Amino acid sequence: MNMSLQQTYFEIFGLRPAFEIDRAAMAERYRQLQREFHPDKYASKSEREQLLAMQYAAQINEAHTTLRDPVLRAGYLLKLAGVEVSPEQTTADAEFLMQQMMLRERLEEVRDEADPAAALDELGDEVRGLFTGEQKHFAEVFATGDLEAGKDSLLKLQFLTKLQRQVEELEEELLD
Amino acid sequence: MALLQISEPGQTPEPHQRKRAVGIDLGTTNSLVATVRSGSAEAIAAEDGSVILPSAVHYGGAEITVGAAARVRAGEDPYNTLISVKRLMGRGIADVQSFGEQLPYRFTDSDGGMPAIETAAGPVNPVQVSAEILKELARRGREALGGELDGAVITVPAYFDEAQRQATKDAAQLAGLKVLRLLNEPTAAAVAYGLDKGEEGVIAVYDLGGGTFDISILRLSRGVFEVLSTGGDTALGGDDFDRAIAGWMAGQAGLGTDLDVATQRALLDSACAAKETLAQREQVEVSHGDWRGTLDRTGMAELLDPLIDKTLRACKRALRDAGLPVDEVQEVVLVGGSTRTLRVRERVEAYFGRAPQADIDPDQVVAIGAALQADQLVGNKTGEDLLLLDVIPLSLGIETMGGLTEKLIARNTTIPVAKAQEFTTFKDGQTAMAIHVVQGERELVKDCRSLARFELRGIPPMVAGAAHIRVTFQVDADGLLSVTAMEKSSGVSADITVKPSYGLEDKDIARMLQESYAHAEEDIAARALREAQVEAERTLESLLAALKENGAELLEEQELNQLERAMEALRLAHNGGDVEEVRRRMETLNQLSEPFAARRMDASIKRAMQGHSLDEFDK
Repeated sequence: MNMSLQQTYFEIFGLRPAFEIDRAAMAERYRQLQREFHPDKYASKSEREQLLAMQYAAQINEAHTTLRDPVLRAGYLLKLAGVEVSPEQTTADAEFLMQQMMLRERLEEVRDEADPAAALDELGDEVRGLFTGEQKHFAEVFATGDLEAGKDSLLKLQFLTKLQRQVEELEEELLD
Repeated sequence: MALLQISEPGQTPEPHQRKRAVGIDLGTTNSLVATVRSGSAEAIAAEDGSVILPSAVHYGGAEITVGAAARVRAGEDPYNTLISVKRLMGRGIADVQSFGEQLPYRFTDSDGGMPAIETAAGPVNPVQVSAEILKELARRGREALGGELDGAVITVPAYFDEAQRQATKDAAQLAGLKVLRLLNEPTAAAVAYGLDKGEEGVIAVYDLGGGTFDISILRLSRGVFEVLSTGGDTALGGDDFDRAIAGWMAGQAGLGTDLDVATQRALLDSACAAKETLAQREQVEVSHGDWRGTLDRTGMAELLDPLIDKTLRACKRALRDAGLPVDEVQEVVLVGGSTRTLRVRERVEAYFGRAPQADIDPDQVVAIGAALQADQLVGNKTGEDLLLLDVIPLSLGIETMGGLTEKLIARNTTIPVAKAQEFTTFKDGQTAMAIHVVQGERELVKDCRSLARFELRGIPPMVAGAAHIRVTFQVDADGLLSVTAMEKSSGVSADITVKPSYGLEDKDIARMLQESYAHAEEDIAARALREAQVEAERTLESLLAALKENGAELLEEQELNQLERAMEALRLAHNGGDVEEVRRRMETLNQLSEPFAARRMDASIKRAMQGHSLDEFDK
């Protein structure tokens, strides 16, 4: 009974639990599952079945949202392995923290540049590059089963995501 | 099983009978209703052949007029002619006072913070006004389809927040319509185009109506419409074009800014006419009183560009949220009467780098898409398998210490969605707590929209911090929020009292229904019975089908017998005509069939997983 509650997000999509996933296969499987379980497909069923369908569809959506996003996916993998990472935690890698401070300083100075949009583009590309590199690193250490290194890598990914969001926010401000 | 098939002739509908379903576009300026007939969707015309119903209601003492006949009274009787009320849906009195100059009504505070408008027929609220429009559309639907409607899909701007959606649903309930689904307008338009052409790929829907702007980015893949992102502005539309032009006219004519209502209305009407003329001609003569002037396309472009710029910024944001560059958009679809304005088309084409599509009448495309989905939801097989995966437009969060918001569900999350959050008590022995739900992207609660306040009661007394209250926020496929709460250590479910910030509570709706029956010659008791009977028929029909499918396989003989007896009891109650008895029997049957529903769902999930998890894990 209630197998929907026992399934991991990876099981829902028939994927092996790893950082690298076949996104196209997941997207296809996602659509296929929603074709079956979306509340619209239960419109003429009993109220109880409608409710159950909505709950399962919500779970499919949550699984999709989590696995599609690299940071959420990394956090979920660690959680499955019994490692919880709270948002308050931070990395102890001094070199990384220094680099972050410098990037943030540059972000604050973008407005004073001769061409703020171009300066922001450049900074954005750099942050994206760091983000991609850190994802690779996470995939490697997680595959070897080094959960401590995985946790540290996730903390760095969270830092970089936040920075990326700040870059986007500034982009928006410059747009207006 | 033979027992199950006994039923009074004519009491339950034939299972294969075609259901009557409509799609309704409840617009700011115009509304219309469409349906699927002999395989294709089309707008339903009124007796006089007109398809469009102006969203205007005139309250003249005892008489309520809806549509074109009401719209023409706007100039002469502005206080009693209510137009553009869609802008007031789900809004509080403070919000509408900021529209003061735009909507010249006399507002008073009433019904749970919702504004009421003073009219010759007494105070009315925006939900009631919208219900009048929906009643007229429902009437057209009934006439065209030859009987009571089985359900309707009603469209709302994608950018509508929860309060605005709830207000729309409340209006439908007041109008006696069964809402199958609230559907986002751009998604509806994409359905109308996508199904028509069998498209695949990324579609952008640019929807500029009278009072709202929506942009949605969708990916279409074999009948599945997946909304990737949506954005817009609920207070930007063609009406603002009219205002910009009217403002220019007032300036040119030296009228100053403090204009009376009738002058404002007259200026807006000429502005709107000028705008429409410029869609066909290079220039137009305009006048007001003794003043005469000329407006050409370039002049109008200058007035409108700042407004169009706003819409293009929203497009850029939506693309970024979807994670797509602009050149991945394969198709741009125009929706809404305001996209007839030439300047809008030019700017949209320049931004997306491709000519937008407008083959389907932009005034009708939304209702047509809604009709297609209504047809599918009501169970009429249309051949194409259609599925819409929509998103919530704005983040949902709760108020935390210091007036900050904590986001629980991010905008552009696919619905339905559920998120749980744990809370604990602050004081020893605390048995209740208050939770404030807000919607919006900003960090401070005061900059977001207040949706509702929940009070959790019945928490068992414990020391501070010991209680673990798990509150689950669920957004259904209509984009509507519901909340449940449970204290984990004791398993006690806390009671929740929902107080919408600007909206109607169930008792308000019941009262308004009562009032409207007092006016109409309809019997509320007869109506309640009919509704309960329809619900009973639906329950019996779906359970019968479920039992046929896998009753024998999933139920013990004793369970099956119990269910059959409860079904028979409901059938008898249905034919008996005592509304309370029908409801009681239905409740019993629903409870009895719960385990069956759960087992069916599990069986479906197992079936869906078969041949997947196994071979893909072993690869």
